[in-house]
Amino acid sequence: MKPAKGPDTLAKALALLNDKRVRDVIYQVAVVVGLVGLTVYFVHNASQNMVKAGIASGFDFLWRTSGIDVPFVLTSYTQADNILGLFWAGVANTMLVTVIALVLSTLLGFLIGLARLSSHWLLSTVAGAYIEFVRNIPLLFFVLFWYFGVIASLPAPRDSLRVFGIAFLNNRGLTIPLPDAPGNFRWALIAILLAWLAQWLVARWARHRKEATGRDAPVLAIGLGLVVLVPVLAITWASLATRWDIPVLRGFNYRGGFVVIPEFVALLAALVTYTAGFIAEIVRGGIQAVPHGQIEAASALGLQRGQTMRFVTIPQALRVMIPPLTNQYLNVLKNSSFGAAIAYPDVVSLFMGSALNNTGQAIEIIAMALAVYLVIGLAVSAFMNWYNARIALVTR
Amino acid sequence: MSTQALPIWRKRLFGTPATGVVTILLALLFAWLAIPIIRWALIDATWVGTSRSDCAPGGACWVFIRARFGQFMYGLYPADQRWRADLCGLAFAFAGAGLFMAPARLRLKLALAALVVLPPLGIWLLAGGFGLRWIETREWGGLMLTLFISVYASLIAIPLGILFALGRQSQLRVIRLVSILFIEFWRGVPIIAVIFLASLLLPLILPSGIGIDRLARAVIGLGLVIAAYMAEAIRGGLQALPPGQREAATALGLGYWKATGLIVLPQALRISLPAMTNEIIALLKNTTLVLVVSILDLLGIAQASLADPNWVGMSMEAYVFSGGIYWLLCYAMSRFSRRLETAAGQRH
Repeated sequence: MKPAKGPDTLAKALALLNDKRVRDVIYQVAVVVGLVGLTVYFVHNASQNMVKAGIASGFDFLWRTSGIDVPFVLTSYTQADNILGLFWAGVANTMLVTVIALVLSTLLGFLIGLARLSSHWLLSTVAGAYIEFVRNIPLLFFVLFWYFGVIASLPAPRDSLRVFGIAFLNNRGLTIPLPDAPGNFRWALIAILLAWLAQWLVARWARHRKEATGRDAPVLAIGLGLVVLVPVLAITWASLATRWDIPVLRGFNYRGGFVVIPEFVALLAALVTYTAGFIAEIVRGGIQAVPHGQIEAASALGLQRGQTMRFVTIPQALRVMIPPLTNQYLNVLKNSSFGAAIAYPDVVSLFMGSALNNTGQAIEIIAMALAVYLVIGLAVSAFMNWYNARIALVTR
Repeated sequence: MSTQALPIWRKRLFGTPATGVVTILLALLFAWLAIPIIRWALIDATWVGTSRSDCAPGGACWVFIRARFGQFMYGLYPADQRWRADLCGLAFAFAGAGLFMAPARLRLKLALAALVVLPPLGIWLLAGGFGLRWIETREWGGLMLTLFISVYASLIAIPLGILFALGRQSQLRVIRLVSILFIEFWRGVPIIAVIFLASLLLPLILPSGIGIDRLARAVIGLGLVIAAYMAEAIRGGLQALPPGQREAATALGLGYWKATGLIVLPQALRISLPAMTNEIIALLKNTTLVLVVSILDLLGIAQASLADPNWVGMSMEAYVFSGGIYWLLCYAMSRFSRRLETAAGQRH
């Protein structure tokens, strides 16, 4: 018998506990065990609760006929399609409002941000007031305000606001003409893409030539022609060569054309006016972050104001602006779900709302809806990170 | 004074031809947009009266706001019990002011004491029990509910945010990974989806028989999302702190928790206070989303009041009033955070 052995190993074990590496392992194992335990507990409860409610888990429900009518679809979805089709219809609607809101709010945000920096006192004050106004009010407020306050108070179809006699804005939405055959537009799109490709090649060639010989090429003029003029011409040609289905007032509403539902108009207006306030502040911050000496140096070198803006200020400001701008773009994607509050048929309202009520498959549906946002969000931030890395300052 | 002011303004507004054109365009925009709004809201408005029939056509009818003021503030909370909500608000306000003015060495102890005492006290006052009449959460509403959700969601978000910010900086790989996953998941999904998720999944994953109040579900959902954003705000403060601070604390023989609690966190939190205030502003704005699970906060009450048959067509008044309150609250907080920022800037 060795009575000393017991306390000895105990002391050794205790000493081992004082070793930082051992303790670190113990902590991490404890966290993992805790998380796994919690997950098992939740899953166990959920499965019991689902058995009690008579819901089978799994994704089989996606192939059931949905029977849900969607007032605004971009895909070929109809009520007779399955729930997976409903899901894609929601994704398409989310993407549509997100992309259009991104473009418009960037444009408006840049305008307001530049106005905020303008040397014109009144202009910068008005821009500042706008920014302070929208940033301190909830987005949902704007969504409801545009929907129930503004669009609901628009005139009835009979007295619509007419835009050149072809588009009509009333309390049932915006009715726009729709081309009968999209064929010409397909050709126009190809022409535009080719022009953009050509512009990219010209810019590359010009850069190489400038590095090699130091001579400038008229990149701006060619670029404007290729990037702006060609699309304008192509779209004009396509619109003239196509027969249009122009909406006509019959009875109480317009027939023909394409109806942009009021929910879309309200959500888009709210997203754009709200996000523009945040983007304006990012633009202002970015431009102000460029040291003033840079601009003085540019003018000492004889650069004109426009050149200074193009070659000195904007490239440096972009570096500061891209990361917060990425955040705002992701916010627009996530905030497009605010449409659920006014029943705009996006992923959240169609899938987490209608489909969930019909099928009761809470876990699967929530997982799919969240996955949409996570996947699109990751794609957007990956693209913006790539762009950020491309324009980042290279230090040698 | 006035002899100097005029030339300055002329130069500001009409210094060059281009400046003049912009000024005139803005003046026209103002005349087209702002003058009708001012006429509607102030000049043609009705201020006194009791019913819809007292409202003058063409102007705002503030009588409506006056008649429904109680609902905008308290929702359907019973009128004779509203003192409880007032008392609760006063208690939180006094505690906040007291903490702000308390000497620095007592502040931490007082804050911990307030954190232990106030939240249960607030729930007892609002919900009842132990001698007070029980009031279901579906009767809560209005501005009181907006503030309740904001305060209680931040009570979840701030401690969790601190933990996950520390976890993201941790040397331990598993803990860092768990923290990153938590933060990026909640930051990647829309808050409206989280509120749906909380209201649908929380009852599902708890043992059957345990009911969980729908307001509590919304608060937990919001708290988790804001915790992720809060963690990123705090991470900024942690990263701004020179690593020498922790190294010095370790050299003095302090363990991880002591070094964190006594040296690192007090400084990091001070740096990230403006960013944290911004997150609280965002939280206050996002409380409006509880509308989608039929909880009527200030905006929800404003929205619901439009359905009152006695007050048809009062949407603009309801929106202007509720929007004004949100604006004032958020603007005051953003001013406060800007003051913190300049104060912090001067200290260094």
